[in-house]
Amino acid sequence: MKKKVVRIAGTQGFYGDSPMGAIMVAMHGAADYLMHDALAELTLSILQKDKLKDPSLGYARDIEFHASKLYPIALSNGIKIVTDSGGLNPHSAAKKVKAILAKQGIENVKIAAIDGDDMMDKLSEFKALDNPLVNMDNGELYSESQYTPTHANVYIGAQSIKDALKKGANIILAGRVADPCLALGILAYEYNWDLTGPTQEDLNKMANGIMVGHILECGGQASGGNAYSEWLNRDYKFSNLGYPIAHVEEDGSAIITKLDNQNGKVSRNTIREQLVYEIHDPNAYITPDVIVDFTKISVTEISENKVLVNGAIGKERPEMLKLCIGQMEGYMTEQLFYFSYPYAYEKALAFVNAAKETWASLPFEYEDLRINFLGINGIHEDVAPDIPKEILDNMNEIGIRIAFRHKKAHTGKLLLQSVVCLGLNGPPGMNASMNWGKAGSIRLGLFPTLIPREYVDPQVTIY
Amino acid sequence: MKSIKLIDIASARSGDKNNICNIGVMANSTENYKLLKTHLTAEKVKLHFGGLIKGKVVRHEWDVLESLNFVCHEALDGGASRSLRIDTLGKNFSSHLLRMELLV
Repeated sequence: MKKKVVRIAGTQGFYGDSPMGAIMVAMHGAADYLMHDALAELTLSILQKDKLKDPSLGYARDIEFHASKLYPIALSNGIKIVTDSGGLNPHSAAKKVKAILAKQGIENVKIAAIDGDDMMDKLSEFKALDNPLVNMDNGELYSESQYTPTHANVYIGAQSIKDALKKGANIILAGRVADPCLALGILAYEYNWDLTGPTQEDLNKMANGIMVGHILECGGQASGGNAYSEWLNRDYKFSNLGYPIAHVEEDGSAIITKLDNQNGKVSRNTIREQLVYEIHDPNAYITPDVIVDFTKISVTEISENKVLVNGAIGKERPEMLKLCIGQMEGYMTEQLFYFSYPYAYEKALAFVNAAKETWASLPFEYEDLRINFLGINGIHEDVAPDIPKEILDNMNEIGIRIAFRHKKAHTGKLLLQSVVCLGLNGPPGMNASMNWGKAGSIRLGLFPTLIPREYVDPQVTIY
Repeated sequence: MKSIKLIDIASARSGDKNNICNIGVMANSTENYKLLKTHLTAEKVKLHFGGLIKGKVVRHEWDVLESLNFVCHEALDGGASRSLRIDTLGKNFSSHLLRMELLV
């Protein structure tokens, strides 16, 4: 008898990713599940901005396009979708998807919303706990935070995904399920793994499941995208990149591959790059369900675009779960200006001096000011090596990026307005496409902390 | 002693967790992994990033992947949602590290 294999495609790596890889996998029936990770830490802040404007939003809005173009293809091929795109509003997301599918005459589909990660209502209770909430990054106490919380979501595990699949869900829209636990939940359902991890064998299967999820969670980053290791010898195109697909066996070992008729590459190198991505201690990768030791894994290229991974070791799940509290800190503003040859650099310096003098003479308060010269020190700032004077003096053009942090929303626009006059009053040839939309965008801080898991009780609702 | 460019013996990928940036450095051969293990210390990485990394740098060895992982604290100007940098997510920390030259 042929061994059972569960095929999971990692066809979304972030909110805003292209749907084309997912559509290709769905059209070819190349997976049993599409795993879509839309939530980075930053994404929750973005979704919160949406929700502040309209309480029915707060989910990753690319599910609207997916529901109209992708899900119908996937459903017709018997493929299920498991995603955290529910974001801060999984119920609203589920209703929206239900409505978009119904419009196309697709009624016989079960959509699960998973919530229970939202801890906003419990924050005051947490403040009164004997063990205060401590910032994992810098040790600050939450009780001493001066900022208003905007959202508070705890990373939940795979059990709710398993439960939703047991209830027959075709599409799962979860809130803040930890990225790799999307895959673990699918595998726990398919292979009936006990997620309490009663034996070492169970823990190891779960650890492999987390490894699969971690490889898939960033989509094209596992199949040739953003990969220095393949850059010098690259023999593939970046357009129409095939997304990674994991063929997973009962013990959690998996072959990572991609569609043959798409571009990209799955190699030991591309998998290695994704494995090190956003990991701290490889001996203890902490997830809500299991702590994973990746230090004994094997990653073997078995043929072209096929890499076998296994050998992760599981340790008992943590008692505490990670909670990210968003805090309203203020606002940010960013704007670009440009000068061209001749004297581009000199003119840019003169512009910056005039702008600084202007700001110093006005009563507008800001907390921080950042000035970058694009092409010189834009990305690496102070540690970018110096450029020789003869090159600086002969630059074809220079971009100036100005960014502020400020407390009041309207300050950003005033700061920019006060220096736009330099187009007529300043060094010759200032260019600027004024980007007023980015003046005064909301700035949220994140307060990462740990809470006891007994406060967390994820719920599945079927629509 | 000779000088080796990191880009010639390794690749790297970096990413964010709030204000922490991790840089995974993958050797392109077993021999070069030995070089990295001996010479690419947390102290050198911290120094190479100057004021960009305000906190400590912790190095993890990952032998089966012939990789080192550097966890850089207070490295992302407060974290992506409040950073004034262009590289809000620290994705280009990998690029800057690969520019390093090692004396071996």
